[in-house]
Order: sequence, then C-alpha cells, then structure tokens
Amino acid sequence: MNELLGSLVVLAGSVFLFSAGLGVLRMPDSYNRIQTGTKASTLGTILVLIGLAIYHPAWIGKLLLLIFFILLTNPVSSHALARASHRRHIRLAEETVVDKLEEHETDVAGKKTEVVEGAR
Amino acid sequence: MIKRLFILLVLVLFGVMFYNIASNYMEPTELSPLATRYVGKGPEELGAANLVTSVVVTYRGLDTLGEVTVLFLSAAAVGLLLGLSARSSGAEGQPKESKTEASELVQTTVEYLVPIIFLFGAYIFINGHLTPGGGFQGGAVIASGIMLLFLGLPHAKLRHTLLGLLESLSGFSYVLVGLLGLVLAGGFLDNRFLPLGEYGQLFSAGAIPLIYIFIGLKVGTELSAVLENFKGNNPD
Amino acid sequence: MDLPISTITLSAGLALLLVGMWGMLTHKNIIRMIIGFSLMDTGVHMIMVSIGYLSGRTAPIINEAVNRANALLEVVDPVPSALVLTAIVIGLGITAVMLAFAVQIHEKKKSLSIEDCTESKW
Repeated sequence: MNELLGSLVVLAGSVFLFSAGLGVLRMPDSYNRIQTGTKASTLGTILVLIGLAIYHPAWIGKLLLLIFFILLTNPVSSHALARASHRRHIRLAEETVVDKLEEHETDVAGKKTEVVEGAR
Repeated sequence: MIKRLFILLVLVLFGVMFYNIASNYMEPTELSPLATRYVGKGPEELGAANLVTSVVVTYRGLDTLGEVTVLFLSAAAVGLLLGLSARSSGAEGQPKESKTEASELVQTTVEYLVPIIFLFGAYIFINGHLTPGGGFQGGAVIASGIMLLFLGLPHAKLRHTLLGLLESLSGFSYVLVGLLGLVLAGGFLDNRFLPLGEYGQLFSAGAIPLIYIFIGLKVGTELSAVLENFKGNNPD
Repeated sequence: MDLPISTITLSAGLALLLVGMWGMLTHKNIIRMIIGFSLMDTGVHMIMVSIGYLSGRTAPIINEAVNRANALLEVVDPVPSALVLTAIVIGLGITAVMLAFAVQIHEKKKSLSIEDCTESKW
C-alpha cells in the first residue's frame, strides 16, 4: 500500500519535471525559460522526494531536510540569474507589454539625480 | 596549415596508443598483495572504518604531508603574484565595486546559508574516519562557503590576522602530531599514541580525527586566502 | 557489448585526455588553454581510479553493509583512490598558480592571446 502510493507520487513528480524540460525548449525568450525551468523543476523534485519518503518511511528526516534546502536555494538562484540577464540588457520577447523592473530602475535613478541636484 | 597537420598527426598517434591500452586491459579478479595487506590488517591495527582514510593518513602519511606543503606553496605563490599588482595599481579598484551590488533577496539568503555550509564542512572533516570524506573535502566545502559570502555580500571583509594565524597553527600542529607519534608510538605520523577506542565511534582510531581536523582547517583557510587574492584586496 | 565497467571508464578517461590535448594545442586564448589542461587532469584521475576497480565489489568502507570478516572479498582496491585524493589537490594548486599568471599577463600586456607573449621566441 505504501509502495503503490509512493510510486504514484513519484510518477506525478516526473510529469512535472518533463514539463519543465519541455518549457525550457519551447519558450520564446530567456526570461520565460528561466521562469518555467525553476518553478516546474522545483515542484517536480519536491514531489519525487515526498514519494520516496512515503515508500521508505525510515528516511523521512533526511528527505525533509533535503526538501527544505531545495526550497531555500532554487528560487533565489533563478532570481539572481534573471536580474543579471536584465542588467546585461538581454532582449525581451516581442509580445512583452510591460517591463516593471525597467520602470523601477529609471524611477530610482531619477530620484538619485533629483537629490544630488537639490543638495547642490 | 603545416601546424594543423602536425597537431592532427600528434593526436592520431596518441589515439592509436590509447586504443591499444584500452583494448588490452584485463580487469583483475582479486585484490593485489599490497591491498590485501592494507584491507586485512587495517581495521585491527588502526581502528578506522574508512580504509581510504587509513591509507592516506597513516600508511602513506608522508605523501599527505608533502601534499599539504605543495598546497601551501601554491597559495603563497598566488599571494606573491597578485599582491604585486594590487600594490602597483593603488586604489583604483574601489569605485568599480558599487556596480555589482547584489539584490536584497540574495543577501538575506547568503546570510542564512553560510553558517549551514560551514557546519556541513566541519561535519565532513570530523567524521573522516567513519564516512567518505576527510580533511581536504571538508576544507574545500568551507572555502566554497566563503566564496558564496564574497558573491552575495561584496563588501564583507575577512579578518586577515585571524586567518593567517589559524592556517600557520594548523600546519604546525599537524607536524607536531607526527612528532608525537614518533616519540610516543611506532614512527612518524603513527596514530597509536592515543587510545584506539571502540570500533566505529566518533572518538576512535587514535590520532586520525585530530590529524584530519588540522588538515581541514588548514585547507579551508588557505583556499579562502587564495580567493581573497583573486578578488582584489591583497591580505598582506 | 559486454564490456566491464572499468574498461568503459578507462576509455572515457583516455578520451578526455585526448580532448584536453586538442584544446591546449589549437586555441590561442590563455584561459582556454588552462581549461584544456584542467580537462587533461580530470582524464588522468579517471584513469587512475578505474584501474583499481573490481567487478561486483563495493566501496572500501566498513559499516553495516560490509563487515570486517569478509572485507577482503567485498571491497575495491583503496590504494588508487588514496593516490587520486592527493592528485586532485595538487591539480587545484597548479590551476590556481596558472590563473594568477594569466591575470598578471593581462595586466602587463592588455591582451590574453598567447601570440603577444613573444619574449621567449628567437
């Protein structure tokens, strides 16, 4: 019974991992690729580890620690990658409507020059 | 054109030689006599569960001392080479750093992760005689934690006097443990001058955990000094 | 193909050695030559580890999987693993010194191509 349930959860996790790979191949620009790659593969990995914990109940402590560590580091690394590629002005897809980070950075730069000119 | 032809000729000749080696390789079916001696007598004589550790630290301990010396020499060479450039270019390195500030999310995660990485590295080199790992692997993990610190918080400064003192003391204590083995037990770097203890526990295998702790600290601080040299502020 | 595992890893190590040698001989950028050297280093380590492997045996650590009495029949040769430990650390030291030299060459000559380092040519 444990084995059946664990195997089903591992199968669901592998479906998500497959969709992550498909997304990385088919998305139009690099920001979309970073987003699908991270979200789907993090969920797929967590589901595989939970399925393994159901299959072998003796390993549950170590697997919970692993899940915590993956949840902590995967999103942060993709955030750093996306910010770095925006700073290098890698181009967005043609269908893009709004670029919030660009607006935020021009606002901040505008306020800095205001402060400098006001202090003079 | 001639150069490319020569390169191709060299590669083809090496390829023929390697093909001969790979096709005539017969896998042995039993352990060699040296390995039989180390695996057979190792656990009783030295008390370590990890047989590779007992070979590296005790049976071939002098090679490990030579390796620690080579690592120290290369760290000193890097310090010498990159220190000259920092002194000659003066303070022009300072304004470049303001562009590479990391975002706040990354900074918070780095502050949370670096102690966990240090704990993991210390676990690896303290349990070197029971599980795979040891001094060099644990020291490398600690140095990678320091590299994460440099990437996430570029203005972090390390205390150079403490690092230098820790490195020199660890190297010195390693040789001291070897000399204690010479005076109190069978030979240089013999580990039997501390009690062998119960097999498989943390405080067992004589002086092997002590040696690995000193090697781990030395390698960790040394590689951190090399990383700091490459980053640009020369720790004199 | 019924090849034992050690022959496969031996061939992979020798192939890495060839690829690293090609990289060192054809590129002009110093950093690419250093990468080729590092590949050759990894290839040599793979060759050394695969020499000590015996089929069907496990890692040389004595715990609940392998007990002391029949360790002689169940573990792989520990000596090549110990030699490779030393070799990896020394490869790291050499790569660090090479990269420091590359940084200094770039500072003095403002270019990373080996065609500009002509002091030893005659």
